[in-house]
Amino acid sequence: MTTPVKTVRICHLYPRLLSVAGDRGNLFAIMQRCAWRGIRFSVTDADVGDVPDFTKSDLILMHGGQDREMTAAARDLAEKAGPLREAIEGNAVVLAVCAGYQLLGHYYAPAEGPRIEGIDVLDVVTEAGPTRFIGHVAVDCDFGSGNRGQLTGFENHSGRTRLGSGAEPLGHVLAGGGNNGEDGTEGARYREVYATYLHGPVLPKNPWLADHLISRALEHRYSDVGPLEPLTDQAEAQAHAASLRLARRPARRWRAASVGGSRIRRRPLRAPARARTKTRPANKETRWTSH
Amino acid sequence: MRIVTSRPPARHAAAKASVPPSAQARFTLALAGGKAAGTASRVLRTGGGTSFPGMVARRIDPRILQKTAAVNNASKLVVTGSNGKTTTCRMLAALARAGGLSVTQNRSGSNLLQGVISAAVRGTDLRGRMDAQLFLLEVDEATVRLVAPEVLPDAFLITNIFRDQLDRFGELYTMAKGLEAVIEALPASATVVLNADDPLVASLAPGARARRLYYGIADDGAGLREPEHSADTIRCVRCQHMLSYRAVHLSHLGDYECPECGNARPGLDVAVTAIRPSQEAGSEITIETPAGIFALQVPLAGTHNVYNAAAALAGAVALSFPRPLDPAEARHAIADLRPAFGRLEEIQAGDRKIVLAFVKNPTSYNATLREVLRRPGPKHVLAAHSNTVVDGEDFAWLWDVELEQLVPQLASLTVSGTRADEVALRFKYAGASPDITTMLPGRSAALSRALNETPPGESLYIFAGYTPMRELRGVMQRRGWVRPTWEE
Repeated sequence: MTTPVKTVRICHLYPRLLSVAGDRGNLFAIMQRCAWRGIRFSVTDADVGDVPDFTKSDLILMHGGQDREMTAAARDLAEKAGPLREAIEGNAVVLAVCAGYQLLGHYYAPAEGPRIEGIDVLDVVTEAGPTRFIGHVAVDCDFGSGNRGQLTGFENHSGRTRLGSGAEPLGHVLAGGGNNGEDGTEGARYREVYATYLHGPVLPKNPWLADHLISRALEHRYSDVGPLEPLTDQAEAQAHAASLRLARRPARRWRAASVGGSRIRRRPLRAPARARTKTRPANKETRWTSH
Repeated sequence: MRIVTSRPPARHAAAKASVPPSAQARFTLALAGGKAAGTASRVLRTGGGTSFPGMVARRIDPRILQKTAAVNNASKLVVTGSNGKTTTCRMLAALARAGGLSVTQNRSGSNLLQGVISAAVRGTDLRGRMDAQLFLLEVDEATVRLVAPEVLPDAFLITNIFRDQLDRFGELYTMAKGLEAVIEALPASATVVLNADDPLVASLAPGARARRLYYGIADDGAGLREPEHSADTIRCVRCQHMLSYRAVHLSHLGDYECPECGNARPGLDVAVTAIRPSQEAGSEITIETPAGIFALQVPLAGTHNVYNAAAALAGAVALSFPRPLDPAEARHAIADLRPAFGRLEEIQAGDRKIVLAFVKNPTSYNATLREVLRRPGPKHVLAAHSNTVVDGEDFAWLWDVELEQLVPQLASLTVSGTRADEVALRFKYAGASPDITTMLPGRSAALSRALNETPPGESLYIFAGYTPMRELRGVMQRRGWVRPTWEE
């Protein structure tokens, strides 16, 4: 047992700016699951104005935030875009949640105000919809070669994201709104980029995804990576099961259906949500200005 | 901007079938129905009648609140905000009573529409006349858009805006817009009392007609230099630039300035100029106001209670009650306060002590943790959260709480509530060993177990969301350890 101790180099992008819904729990999940296995890690926080060396990052985290914070992050991310894109092309692992997800796409068009430009890593576009998807979500994922599992979490977004031909969905919704409430997709995947609307936070209650990210991050740096040592995931399994139950309870399914219509019907990318904006109720309650 | 009015009168079959009674008769009937409902629920011990009377009364007369407000000339003060509403109202009521004013207020955090109407029903006679000279309402920050247009407050006080149940309110800024609409509808004769130290609150509705009264902390020595992790509004409301702080007192509350556009904390009308730790728990503070200088002893620990005291005094100054506020009377009134139920409330349970803390968002949880960690000894903890209409569905905010700081002192942990699973997971990743953790969703069983883990003479700390806190308190009441909340 003389294999040298391995280190995962984590870069946490905008830990202050994009930190609205407890998403830093994703960082805790990675850190603890490495620590419990004797894998070392380093965490570099990169906020506005900081210039991290993305070539020295194995795992990059980028989380959710509100519209104003997202605008500020977008402005700064434009300057980091070149090196970040390079790192992604070099198979650095990225977890992007909500606003972080939208910023990796082409753009996000809020209900009012100018369009927020993304950095075109993911072939997706997002436009604000008339209502907000708020609730528990269950997603079925298949990353190929046996990496299959269910994700569960909590979504809270009015952005409707549509995937272009260059992006694969992260998975398909079993319950909840997902990307747009219409085509049944949730999140997006490109190389080792995993983007999702799921808060919760997503990694602690979906330990298989956390471990998948750790494995891929290790592979990004080392060539001799075996399977990860299994952990006793009792608390994780309980929370996962509870969240799954909440996502699938009848009331929620009814709500999802009434919001999104048939969830298996696919629509072309360019069919904009504009048709529906005409019928947008004047009620202030539903005019969310957020992602 | 248009105020979102309350929903149109509800018509149901019974009312339609009969001849519509006159407005006054309906009003009286509603008050009678509400009072009967309140008596019934107390007699039947189904609860303190904190919201049921309101439900009944509103069902009979949907305009009941408006009518009650219109026929009385009591001063009307509405308090809203994410944190500190209940304690601020308790302090305000104490200040008013100290000056000989009688007060009608909603109780025990019943701050949704039905709780507010219940207060109106309880405080009036059958013609809707109110004895009290002050009608004091603590109102939920999402409900206030419905209440304010009906009550037409003389003063409207906003304590702060923290992230609190994002799944209910959408986002902070959406809620802020709702509050702006309320402020903009106030007449020039009304006063809006704002926490100047909260960048979002201070900047609400700058063009409104109402007089503005700002309160805040001017004792810079008391603060930190940098906001803590869970801070919400740390960017400039105008230009999005990162704010710089001369002092941070609590989360994002402090003396701020935007280096980019110059947007800074407004001048304070009611300023806490000195904070010193008090002999007992709590603080000795000096507050300068247009009505004079006050030296208060705040018996409740923590900076958040300094803010609550400043808010209460600012509210009292805004309504200029009682007459000119007397510093000695004010000092007595505040010093005699006991914590509101569930605010680090101490309860004797046989030979063990329970410290009950109501936690609902990262800010209130972190503030509570700081107080608990200051106390010596190992910590036996019961943590409970449930998904309900009141508590919300999303408990992601638990991950913004600094539970990592509690874990080194943690001796035993019992998790409970319908989301015990989420609480257990959060504590696990904060470093709590599964060996000292027990998961018992049932509240009564969890309380027994947690007390069992706590050696005689030591304290059990309970951190709970609103619903499990009420349930746990109910269990303690049945065991004879506390009185019902509605008797306080």
